[in-house]
Amino acid sequence: MRRYETIFITLPDLSEEDQATLQEKVRSLISAHKGEIINLEDWGIKKLGYEIRKNKNGRYYFLDYRATPDLVREIERNFRLNDRVLKYLTVKAQRPTKTASPATPKEAPPPPKGMEAKNPEQTSEQTTEGDLT
Amino acid sequence: MKAPVKKKRPFQRRKVCVFCADSNMKIDYKDVKTLSHFVTERGKILPRRISGNCAKHQRELTTAIKRARNIALMPFTVVSS
Repeated sequence: MRRYETIFITLPDLSEEDQATLQEKVRSLISAHKGEIINLEDWGIKKLGYEIRKNKNGRYYFLDYRATPDLVREIERNFRLNDRVLKYLTVKAQRPTKTASPATPKEAPPPPKGMEAKNPEQTSEQTTEGDLT
Repeated sequence: MKAPVKKKRPFQRRKVCVFCADSNMKIDYKDVKTLSHFVTERGKILPRRISGNCAKHQRELTTAIKRARNIALMPFTVVSS
């Protein structure tokens, strides 16, 4: 089992009920394949960087979970079939995120297995002058 | 774009990679606020020679920006009005 993050964008004007069924669908799918949901958050309606199917806005969902590759494929297949989902993106989670989301900043638990090198080696002295945030 | 003119440039302080300078800063495709510092107004990725990033971080940054674009957190292009 590997840890993944999936962001999916749904139509902005879904009813409460539709949103709930969609979330329920994802949950049941993951539990049916013995995956484990760590976090499923609703980032709310955000302005899209570009229009997707003539939509300027979309409702973002962020899903953090543990799954097998087959399960990921299955989830993505479902998103593709679902007209309400505009777009999705799955990536392997690698490290605790500093700011999980713009909507709800939250500390994510550290993933057990890091895929890539975590921190740049500090060879020289640290300077904090060029802080961008 | 300006034509490259062979001319003595005034001395510039060597830029240090901001991500190396501050180890707390993480490159994350979800963190649009940080990423937006490294794109132009048109949404293009800033080259290393401007941003001063090291190769490793520039690489990470590029993937992060591309991911953010994919999921429409960032635009591919901004058309000037």
